Amino acid sequence: MKRAKSAGSLSLPVKALLLFLPLAAVIVSLFFGRYPISLREVVFSLFGSQDVALTSRVTVLQLRLPRAIAAAFVGASLAVSGAAFQSVFRNPLVNSGILGVSNGAGFGACIAIVFFGGGIFTYILSFVFAVAAVILSYFAGRISRVTTSVTMILGGVIVGAFFSALVSIMKFVADPYSQLPSITFWFMGSFASVNYSHLYATIPMGIGMLLIFFSRWKLNVLSMGEREASSLGVDVRKVQILIIGGATLCTAAAVCISGTIGWVGLVIPHIGRMIIGNSNQKLIPVSISLGSAFMVIMDLLSRTLTGSEIPIGILCALIGTPFFVYLLKKTKGGFKT
Amino acid sequence: MILQIDNLSFSYDNTPLISGASLSADKGEIICLLGPNGSGKTTLLDCILGFHRNFSGSIKVCEKNILTLSRPELAKLVSYVPQVHIPAFPYTVREVVLMGRTAQSGILGAPCDEDFEICDSSIARIGIESFADKPYTALSGGERKLVLLARALAQKAPLIVLDEPTSSLDFKNEFLFLEILTDLVCNDGISAIMATHALQHPLYFESQGIETKAVMLCRQGEIRVGSPGELITPKTLLEVYGVLASVQEIQGKDGKTVRTIAVLGNDIKQGE
Repeated sequence: MKRAKSAGSLSLPVKALLLFLPLAAVIVSLFFGRYPISLREVVFSLFGSQDVALTSRVTVLQLRLPRAIAAAFVGASLAVSGAAFQSVFRNPLVNSGILGVSNGAGFGACIAIVFFGGGIFTYILSFVFAVAAVILSYFAGRISRVTTSVTMILGGVIVGAFFSALVSIMKFVADPYSQLPSITFWFMGSFASVNYSHLYATIPMGIGMLLIFFSRWKLNVLSMGEREASSLGVDVRKVQILIIGGATLCTAAAVCISGTIGWVGLVIPHIGRMIIGNSNQKLIPVSISLGSAFMVIMDLLSRTLTGSEIPIGILCALIGTPFFVYLLKKTKGGFKT
Repeated sequence: MILQIDNLSFSYDNTPLISGASLSADKGEIICLLGPNGSGKTTLLDCILGFHRNFSGSIKVCEKNILTLSRPELAKLVSYVPQVHIPAFPYTVREVVLMGRTAQSGILGAPCDEDFEICDSSIARIGIESFADKPYTALSGGERKLVLLARALAQKAPLIVLDEPTSSLDFKNEFLFLEILTDLVCNDGISAIMATHALQHPLYFESQGIETKAVMLCRQGEIRVGSPGELITPKTLLEVYGVLASVQEIQGKDGKTVRTIAVLGNDIKQGE
C-alpha cells in the first residue's frame, strides 16, 4: 500500500541531487573567470587561509561568491514564481512577470537613474515599484464583479502596459549620453555590480520561496479552477494572496538585483515538468533547484565567454530556447493533453 | 438529517429563480433534481456548495448552517463532483484523487500518511486502480467522471453533490456510474444530491431500493417533490416539459419493477 505516497513525493536520491545541483554550480563558478585563479587558491580563500595572494582572495570572496549566491537566488526565485503563477492562473504560458513586476521595477529603476543618480536608489525604487505594480494589477483584475484568472492576467497586462508607457516617458526625458545607456543596460539584466550588500535582497526572496514551497499542495488544487478549489476546502482568496504575495517578494527582489530576466520564469518550470511531472509538490522544489543552477551557470558564461560581459537576459534566451526545443522534442512535451 | 433546506429563495439580479424551496435528505438517501434547462438546478447546488451566499432561507448540512462554516469545514461535510473540464496541467489520477484530502491540512499544510491511505482506498473503492498512474487528461470522459467520484469519496463527506454527472457518458458508462453511486449510497451510508436531465435516473435508483426523492424545478419557481414513481407521470411531463410521454412498468432482473419513459410526441393539445 501507500502507493499514492510513493508516487507523490520525491525519492531521497532525487532530493539529494536537487540540493547538490545549485551548490555544485556555485562552487564551479568560483573557479572560472577573466582573472585566472588556481584550484588551490580558491580552496584556501574559501577556508579563510591568509596564504593566498590578496587579489585572488578578493576575487573569489568579494566578487565571485556574492555574485554566484545572488544568481542562485534570482534564478530560483524567478523559476519558482513562474511555476506558481502558471498554476494560480491555470495558464502554462504565464511567466513570473505576468502581474507587471518587470515593467514596474523598470519604472522604479528609471526614476532612480534619472532623478537620484542610480546607486542604491535603483534597488530600493525598483523593488517598491515592482510590488506596487502587482498590487495595482491585483486590484485592476478584481474590479470586475466576477474575478477569474483571465481578468487577473488582463489586469497584469494592462498595468504592465501602463508602466511600460511610463518607462518610455522616462527614457524620453533621460540624458541620452549617461542615463539612457544605464536604463538600457538595466533592462538587459546583469549581476556585474553585485556585492555582499545586495544580498539583503535574498531575504524577501527566501521568504517568498518558503511561502510558495509550503503552499505547493494548494497550487495543484488552485489550478483546477476556483469553484473546484473552493469545494475541496481551499479558501481561494486567502491562498491566492499568500501565493501571489510570495511570488511577488521573489520576483520584485530578483528583478531589483539583476534587471529583467523574463525567460527563466517561463521555461524552467516547463523543463521541470518534462523531467519530474506536473504535480507542484515535486515541481516547486525542482524549479528552485534547476532555476538557481541554470542562472549561476548562465552568469558564469556571461562573464567568461567574451571579453566584455554579455547581458544575462540575452544569454538566457539564446541558450535556453534551443535547449527547451530539444527537451520538448525529446519528451514530446511533458505537458501534453 | 444530512441535508435540510428550508424555504430557500434565490434571485439573479432581482429575477427570482428559486422561490421557497424546502428539501431534506436523510442518511443513505438520494435526491434527484430534475427540470428544464435554466430552471435553477445548478443554482440550487451552488447554494448548497456555498458558491452563492446571498440566498434567503436556510441550508443546513448535518445540522450546521452552511453560511457559518469556513471553506475547509464545509468541504468536510459536502463533496462535489463537477461537470467535466480539462485542467491546465495533466496531473496523474492519484494526484487528482489526493486533492480530495485538501480540507484536512491547514493553509500551509501537506497531506499526511492517513491522507495517502484514504486516497489509495478511494481509488480501490471506485475500482480505478488500472489507470491510477495515468495522466487525468489522457482518460476518456467516463473514466474522468469516476476519478472525480473517487476524489469526492476521498473527502469523506456525508453528502455528495453531483452536477449532471452522466451528461457526457455513453450508454454503458452512464449505468456503470449510477451503479457505483448506488453502491456508495447503499453500503457507505453516503447521501447524494444530483442534478440530472435524465428522468430515468430517479426511477432507476428507486428500482434499486434506495430511498429516492425526485425534485422537479419548474420554470416559474414552482417546485414539486415526491417519490420518483409519484412525480414522474405523463401529467407532470406534459405540464413541465410540454412533452407527451408514457411511463411504462417493465419486469427487470430478479423480479424488480423498472419504470421507463417513452416519448409519444410534443403536441400539448393531444394530452388534454
